[in-house]
Amino acid sequence: MSYLRLFGAFFRVSVRGELAYRANFFIQLFQSLLSLGISLAGLAVIFSYTDTLGGWRPDQVLALVGVYFLVGGMIGLIIQPGMEELIDSVRHGTLDFTLTKPADAQLIISIQRVEIWRLIDIMLGFGVLAAALVRMNERVGGWEAGAFILMLLAGGVIIYSFWLILATLSFWFVRVENILMVFQSMYEAGRWPISLYPGWLRYGLTFIIPVAFATTVPAEALTGRLTWVTLVIAVALAVVLFMLSRLFWRAGLRHYSGASA
Amino acid sequence: MTTMKSPAIQVQNLRKVYTVSEQEAGTMAALGSLVRRRKVEVAAVDGISFDLAAGEIVGFLGPNGAGKTTTLKMLSGVLHPTSGDATVLGYVPSKREKSFLRQITLVMGQRNQLVWDIPALHSFELNRAIYRIPQEDYRRMLDELTALLELGPLLHKPVRNLSLGERMKCEIAAALLHRPSVVFLDEPTIGLDVTMQRRIRGFITEYNRRFGATVLLTSHYMADVEALCKRVVVIHHGKLLFDGDLSILVQKFTAHKTIEVQIGDCQADLNAYGEVVSCSDGHFTLRVPKAETARVTERLLADLPVIDLLVEDPPIEEVIELVFAQGNP
Amino acid sequence: MKALAELYAQQFKTTMAAMFQYRASLFIWMIGQVLEPLVYLIVWTIVSNSSGGSVGSYTTKEFAAYFIVLMLVNQITYTWIMYEFEYRVREGILSFALLKPVHPIHSDIADNVSSKLITLPIMIVIAVGLAVAFHASISPPLWAIGVFIPSLLLAFLVRFLLEWTLAQAAFWTTRVSAINQTYFVLLLFLSGQIAPLALLPHPVQIAAAILPFRWLISFPVEILLGQHTPAQALMGLGAQVAWLIVSIVLVRVVWRAGLRVYSAVGA
Repeated sequence: MSYLRLFGAFFRVSVRGELAYRANFFIQLFQSLLSLGISLAGLAVIFSYTDTLGGWRPDQVLALVGVYFLVGGMIGLIIQPGMEELIDSVRHGTLDFTLTKPADAQLIISIQRVEIWRLIDIMLGFGVLAAALVRMNERVGGWEAGAFILMLLAGGVIIYSFWLILATLSFWFVRVENILMVFQSMYEAGRWPISLYPGWLRYGLTFIIPVAFATTVPAEALTGRLTWVTLVIAVALAVVLFMLSRLFWRAGLRHYSGASA
Repeated sequence: MTTMKSPAIQVQNLRKVYTVSEQEAGTMAALGSLVRRRKVEVAAVDGISFDLAAGEIVGFLGPNGAGKTTTLKMLSGVLHPTSGDATVLGYVPSKREKSFLRQITLVMGQRNQLVWDIPALHSFELNRAIYRIPQEDYRRMLDELTALLELGPLLHKPVRNLSLGERMKCEIAAALLHRPSVVFLDEPTIGLDVTMQRRIRGFITEYNRRFGATVLLTSHYMADVEALCKRVVVIHHGKLLFDGDLSILVQKFTAHKTIEVQIGDCQADLNAYGEVVSCSDGHFTLRVPKAETARVTERLLADLPVIDLLVEDPPIEEVIELVFAQGNP
Repeated sequence: MKALAELYAQQFKTTMAAMFQYRASLFIWMIGQVLEPLVYLIVWTIVSNSSGGSVGSYTTKEFAAYFIVLMLVNQITYTWIMYEFEYRVREGILSFALLKPVHPIHSDIADNVSSKLITLPIMIVIAVGLAVAFHASISPPLWAIGVFIPSLLLAFLVRFLLEWTLAQAAFWTTRVSAINQTYFVLLLFLSGQIAPLALLPHPVQIAAAILPFRWLISFPVEILLGQHTPAQALMGLGAQVAWLIVSIVLVRVVWRAGLRVYSAVGA
């Protein structure tokens, strides 16, 4: 319960901080619309020359784009700001303050910053999803919706844990400034169904940098393409990665404090 | 029957050793460092021991890199000691138990914990949630701190719009909202102007008086320690050089003055005027007892063709070396 | 002139040393540089294969060639000066550049080129690997290879000058991220990174040709792929030269205006 209250406190602080920059709302709106516009333009060009893309229909790829923006918004809203702040605080020594607070350090660094305007991305994502669903011939039943939400949650946990592992690396590799960019560069590949890519790339985007679980898998759930195997792997991976990232985080903290491992 | 209260802070043979890789200049050396790095062990804190009673204000004095900040970080649980023991309020700091963390606070002079873009008041509320301070206590403490630190007009301004001194006051307030019984202050007055330094020192004294908190303060400003602490600990190269009454150290510190006098060359023998420390190119450094300063200066100006003359306090490093050389009284 | 050469040499050494420190960051950046054209390569070859082996004037193999060459050309013409500039203004270190008796653009160009001397060989190796993996092939006429070099050089200069000019928006506003992103998004689309320009709707192609975007990346790629007649190539080079002149003028004008703002505000 107190976790929720703590999150609420950080959320309020972030929101207040952002409201000071009201112009940022319009700037984010502009950037998000532009990004979405180009995405859709690219789709339009592709599908002017073909009817399907690797077995995916235009409305299904549109759903994927919706998920891409939705999940991208989720990452930008809370995961990315916290991890960037963490890396910064390791570099400048302000992590010390976090360590003297009577709350779990991983919890604090995870919720300490919220980029409130990324909600725009999330809403745009929902909008695109809705448009895609309207265009899809088959109806989305309870099973698809449920699987979708489950896969979104699993994907969220997987991505969070992955970002935490990346950020924790900065305890040892202080000078790798753009370590978080590893995910962001690869996320670009999430715009398209992972099944399009050759085997080695597909493998990399699933098990090395889990972009597939961020975008393609939830989209598969929504469009009825999800297999049981994928669902089980997603949930299992979420649990395992979460535990691993926690252990790694604790190791990172011990290293930072100079404790003997 | 009274029992001896155990000290609030107990430190026994505390050590912190870092391994640093060295790299020489030059391209060949840089390429070589890809393959092999030279590792050097540096003892930031090298076996110090001391006790602090509850409610004491103790100053840690020493030049930069002496080990003051490292000690503080070990006592607040941020760093693990390499060896030795430390106990704060009965807890082992490096275990970082929640009940321990709720009773301490750390303020670092050159680093901010306040959120940059919003008024300080909102950062205070964040701390209230983190430390689970009951509303009543929070209100009361905030009012007291606002009065003591004159925070009124500052609370609603975004932190980035505050001056350095105003920011420091807010930082200190944020750190004390949960009324910690042990306060660690790391160079709290660094970079501040003289007036602000005095105000903050006054506040710390008042806080200690009102709430009986144990205060451990580090600084390389003698003035900080003089104003606040009866007891002072001198640290240099990670070792404890002096632990005792401030008055004794003050006596040593102001026992001498340094006179820098510039004449034509180093030929003249100035030993009659005071202890000649060094001379280069006609620039003499003399050490004279404080009481004699005016008289010696007068004689120097009268007797010699003085080009320039400067009277100074001896630098703190020199005093500390002196303290070290003379041993404990 | 000799002093300028000396400056470039010195900057080269400095950049080398700095890059050495940040080699991991560099590696991570290069992943992104490779992945994006690779993704579109894959998408378009799938479209091509499912459309009977070609789309428009591009066969599947030509798509592969296009995106691989695009990757290299993009790498060669790439700049990051907008972020650099914003950083300098934000940290207040721009003053140091202004105190020097040389126009700051020289050290920026030197730094840019020096970095690429390290990254380019690696990219070429990757390009060869991709070419083998995707059966890419190009067979340009000999003269086209000759024209490719100057067109590449012109593309680099125009792109650098234009982006340097854009970077100076940092003088006037702190909201450069919006400007940067707008530029990059337009560049992405109109310079042929999402699809070869020939496959875009006609009005878009015209826009890309009137605006500088086509001449920054797409044109050298088109040349090397042997898509132009000598006459067309000459006209294209002429367009690049025209844009070079425009961008030189822009740089001077905006820089002078920016300096006036900077010294007035005393940032």
